Amino acid sequence: MSDQHLLEVRDLVVRFRTHDGAVHAVNGVSFDLAAGETLGVAGESGCGKSVTNLAIVGLLPKPAGRVEGGSVKLDGRELTTLKEEELRQVRGSEIAMIFQDPMTSLNPVLRIEEQLIETIQAHREVAKEAARTRAIELLTAVGVANPESRLRSYPHEFSGGMRQRVMIAMALALEPRVLIADEPTTALDVTIQAQVLDLLRRLTEERGTATILVTHDLGVLAGMADRINVMYAGAVIESGTTDDLFANPRHPYTVGLLRSIPRLDGETGGKLVPIEGRPPDLIDAPVGCSFYARCAWRTDRCATETPALLPIDGGKGPIVTNGPTATHVAACFNPVAPAEVAEGRPLPRTGGATR
Amino acid sequence: MFRAALVDPQIARASRGLWGDAARRLRRNRPALVGLVCIVLFALAAILAPFISPFDPYAMNGSSLDAPSLTHLFGTDLLGRDIFSRVLYGAQISLFVGVGAVVLALVIGGVLGAIAGGFGGRIDGVIMRLTDVFLSIPSILLAIGIVTALGRGMVQLMFAIAVSYAPTFARLLRGSLLALREADYVVAARTIGASRMRILVRHMLPNALTPLIVQATLVLATAIIDIAGLGFLGLGPADPRTPEWGTMLVDARRFMQTAPHIVVFIGGAIVISAIGFNLLGDGLRESLDPKLKR
Repeated sequence: MSDQHLLEVRDLVVRFRTHDGAVHAVNGVSFDLAAGETLGVAGESGCGKSVTNLAIVGLLPKPAGRVEGGSVKLDGRELTTLKEEELRQVRGSEIAMIFQDPMTSLNPVLRIEEQLIETIQAHREVAKEAARTRAIELLTAVGVANPESRLRSYPHEFSGGMRQRVMIAMALALEPRVLIADEPTTALDVTIQAQVLDLLRRLTEERGTATILVTHDLGVLAGMADRINVMYAGAVIESGTTDDLFANPRHPYTVGLLRSIPRLDGETGGKLVPIEGRPPDLIDAPVGCSFYARCAWRTDRCATETPALLPIDGGKGPIVTNGPTATHVAACFNPVAPAEVAEGRPLPRTGGATR
Repeated sequence: MFRAALVDPQIARASRGLWGDAARRLRRNRPALVGLVCIVLFALAAILAPFISPFDPYAMNGSSLDAPSLTHLFGTDLLGRDIFSRVLYGAQISLFVGVGAVVLALVIGGVLGAIAGGFGGRIDGVIMRLTDVFLSIPSILLAIGIVTALGRGMVQLMFAIAVSYAPTFARLLRGSLLALREADYVVAARTIGASRMRILVRHMLPNALTPLIVQATLVLATAIIDIAGLGFLGLGPADPRTPEWGTMLVDARRFMQTAPHIVVFIGGAIVISAIGFNLLGDGLRESLDPKLKR
């Protein structure tokens, strides 16, 4: 399983041409995804999470956005060079997406039935009746009560949670091998969030769907993801299994992210600490570490050199890119020491701490 | 104990749909209902003209310039023709030419707008510059020019008015389509691999149609006035005896001092039909606006 990755993204570079210059939205993102695996992607707004996903399915806003380098392979098949017509066959049937806002992701003038059947018929030569039966199955699977009658409803007659269930049903209609869920629960109430996440996990597990779950909510990822990529300024800056990452965050940005969210198992009365400052303007080509300006651990070297993603233990062995033994990597010259995580600031060190 | 209340109340209510919702809101809108009554009156007059008009609109049925009476409800004109009958038949012409012109304008403008907004790029630029050219000419002037070039007649009249309104429709549709291109459900449709044509026809056009419907209703009002206006300028139907409202108005104008009722009745017919479409158009705009839903 670890040899054959379902989805292989290598050094993906995406630029947007704007009047102010080229926006370096994604700067060399690489990751692997195996069947049945859930990859969490975390990072604040504008760090390139969504753009990476749109680039994978070839839906970057045209003509401004372009993939300028790297490759995306699905089962060994290069996607970035496919023609629009071929890509269309991939979308929906092999890679499906769920969007953030279920209120606006369904067409208000079409009945749920028509939208579900359209999805099925877009890729499969099936009769309307068969597609309808399938649609009822799907709605049942996502927990919509009275699916036969709800098929006749319009989106505005559904609540937000129900619409997101419908979106999940549409995304899973063709049993895609990869599911990209872009902040699937951000627009929902907390109680509904849990239900939808539960559903998503159950369905992807049953079907062995590989999932990319994008969110800025690390709490969601803790329960859902096998591995997590933390992104910052269009690059992955730390990656590892969920356990590794939560137990032993090494990049100052990851530490900042973790300290800025409330935890159930943390001490009560502990303060939430925001990360000061804002992400860099991606119009300028990055020089040095992109997190330099906001980092408490920065060294002089960080200002001029860009750190590479390297194993945190400095090991020279092969980097395992997925599975439960995935190597924990971070892009930092001066990684956070375990004792410093709780403090949230560098402690005086003895000897040269840089690796 | 609250179990029973947990049953989804939406299941009990039958799905009403977009048009059902709109009709319900329209019924609560008083001005729109007044407009609807005006339009129904106008349409009934036009359709039933051959059956309910008491006299032949082309024949002399009384003495010249009679005042309104029980026999001649609206009086008679210079040639002794019954004005009530002529107004009824005039409604027929206005309705026929007006609706025909607006439908034609919708088709021309709709196709151009759909191509421009749906495909974008160079073709979009070409179509939009073309509409700019047409929009820069005042619509009545454009219509006068077309009628002059094509000669007088009902079909020419229809075409002239259609051409002067088509650019507005093209712009409107293109604008809504452009806004919809970035809509989440359009992007979502692309992620499921729907084809470009399918997205345009099935996802974008139905959502872009509402402003077009509203505009068409409002334009019908102006079209009726334009028809009368062109008739007034002597560019109406080729046969001067035709009971076209504008043409009739020109004839009646000469007797405004001695027989003002003629102008009042004809003008009233034009005003009522135009106001009717105007009020209904405004009502439709309100009831079809998705932001006012629920």
